[in-house]
Amino acid sequence: MRAYLSTFRLRRRLELQYRGAVVGGVVCQIFFGLILVAIYRAMYLGKPQAMPLSQITSYVWLQQAFFRMLLASDPELLDKIRTGSIAYDLCRPLNLYGFYYMRILAQKMTGSLMRAVPMLIFAFLLPEGWGLALPASPAGLAWSLAALGLGLLCVSALENITMGFTMRTLDSRGMQAMLNLLMMTFAGNILPLTLFPDSWQRVMAWLPYAQLLDAPIRLYTGEKPPSAAPGILLIQAGWIVILTGIGILFWQKNQKRIVIQGG
Amino acid sequence: MSYIHVAELRKQFVVRQKRGKGSLLREKKTVEALQGISFDVEAGELLGYIGPNGAGKSTTVKILSGILTPDGGEVTVGGRVPWKERKAHVREIGVVFGQRTQLWWDVPILDSYELLRDIYRIPEEDFRKRLDTMTEALALGPMLRTPLRQLSLGQRMRAELCGSLLHRPGLLFLDEPTIGLDAVSKLALRDFLKWENREQGTTILLTTHDMEDIASLCPRVMVLGHGKKLFDGALGTLLSRYDTERTVTVRYEEADAEPELPDFLTILREGENMNLVYSPQDFPTAELMARLQKAGTIRELTVQPQNIDHLVAAMYREMDL
Repeated sequence: MRAYLSTFRLRRRLELQYRGAVVGGVVCQIFFGLILVAIYRAMYLGKPQAMPLSQITSYVWLQQAFFRMLLASDPELLDKIRTGSIAYDLCRPLNLYGFYYMRILAQKMTGSLMRAVPMLIFAFLLPEGWGLALPASPAGLAWSLAALGLGLLCVSALENITMGFTMRTLDSRGMQAMLNLLMMTFAGNILPLTLFPDSWQRVMAWLPYAQLLDAPIRLYTGEKPPSAAPGILLIQAGWIVILTGIGILFWQKNQKRIVIQGG
Repeated sequence: MSYIHVAELRKQFVVRQKRGKGSLLREKKTVEALQGISFDVEAGELLGYIGPNGAGKSTTVKILSGILTPDGGEVTVGGRVPWKERKAHVREIGVVFGQRTQLWWDVPILDSYELLRDIYRIPEEDFRKRLDTMTEALALGPMLRTPLRQLSLGQRMRAELCGSLLHRPGLLFLDEPTIGLDAVSKLALRDFLKWENREQGTTILLTTHDMEDIASLCPRVMVLGHGKKLFDGALGTLLSRYDTERTVTVRYEEADAEPELPDFLTILREGENMNLVYSPQDFPTAELMARLQKAGTIRELTVQPQNIDHLVAAMYREMDL
């Protein structure tokens, strides 16, 4: 276990070094946040929706703040697979799935926290109807934090499955373009899931992508009351088990047929 | 049983090739990377493994280190089958792939070592002791807190080597460890490997294209070509088959000295120097010396054996590699 914790710590330290990337990411995400909020404000002027505007702007800011959690592949891992340096990792007395899972988890967690803190401060300072509202209740905040933690485990398991695909295809770009589109759409980054038609939402809420950020955000804004939280967390836990299981099986299969090319 | 036992080892790869220029169709081709290799290595040996590019050297190393499953044949290392008991096996081995890196690029190398400590569950005290010895032997002291990316290639290779040996493996695989290194770094690396082999009793299996590596390190050498074992024995034995010619360089006190030599010996003049290539089998050395002395007063005379790289090239040519 210690090996995996150390892997997590080292990857976290590595992520903390990339401060320049944080500044760039924050500026970019603030820009997107402001544009999206402006669009929804304009839309509400024309035709107010059932969802209060302040909930939508909160939704947008939380999505933007934790953007890094969704869209971030570890370039080092992809490189290892492409160039064959993964040969070294295969020579370690470790479970490869666990080793990579820890690296992904550390990167997503550290990377998104570093960006989320300044972004959330910025969003709180914006006037009401533009920025991030306070959580609906202390209980809602506590539940949403728990759901965020589970969402992080969920997205890391998803990412590790993508890594497994990369080992087969050697080039991750095609696969990632497709998976990223699914991720952005069904995680609520392009359009808050709360704005989709109710009939769609009933299905979407069950998909793994909804467990990443949508579930914790709904608990934060109070769109889902704290009483609904245990059910939501249960769905999340279910997906973590399923996705991790698929990933572990996939990696085991890969490991048997792996070929490291080149001298 | 020997420490490493390999019998009838086979491995095929499927390579996809385009049918022609611009063709969208690809055809599959099977390449026999290893066609039944057998050898045994005793604990504590230092074995060199040579052969032209694509001979199957790296494939053997990958199978022996447990990351590739062969198509046929037997392999045991220390009584274990590498690809079947991967975790137990890799705990006992160290690997250096000369063209890849195991240390983390953007963090100080000490951090990478500490992660390796936890991966191999090395007790802290043992780790400190081993690290101290290794940093001294490899002169790594001043770089421990430097990120890998800021090290030169030679420094990096030393750092990689240290990383591969921290857990005191009984067996070390080195895949082209001196590639791209300057003379000083190469010499230091070789000295270190000799030291590690002698003091720690580590069995070392080295693949390389640098014949100096083999000449200075490996009492035993194995030649591989087209997936077959072509030679296994002492480097001297191997070379004596091809090592037939000598180059003699003479310089006379007199400018017009002209030794009487048979026509089949070609003389090349380079300023005051006279170079001639002869083979002791065709023309006795004593006879040559006598004739050279008769022609004038010799100021300087050197005899050079053939360049080892030329010998190996001649060998590869003859073996049709």
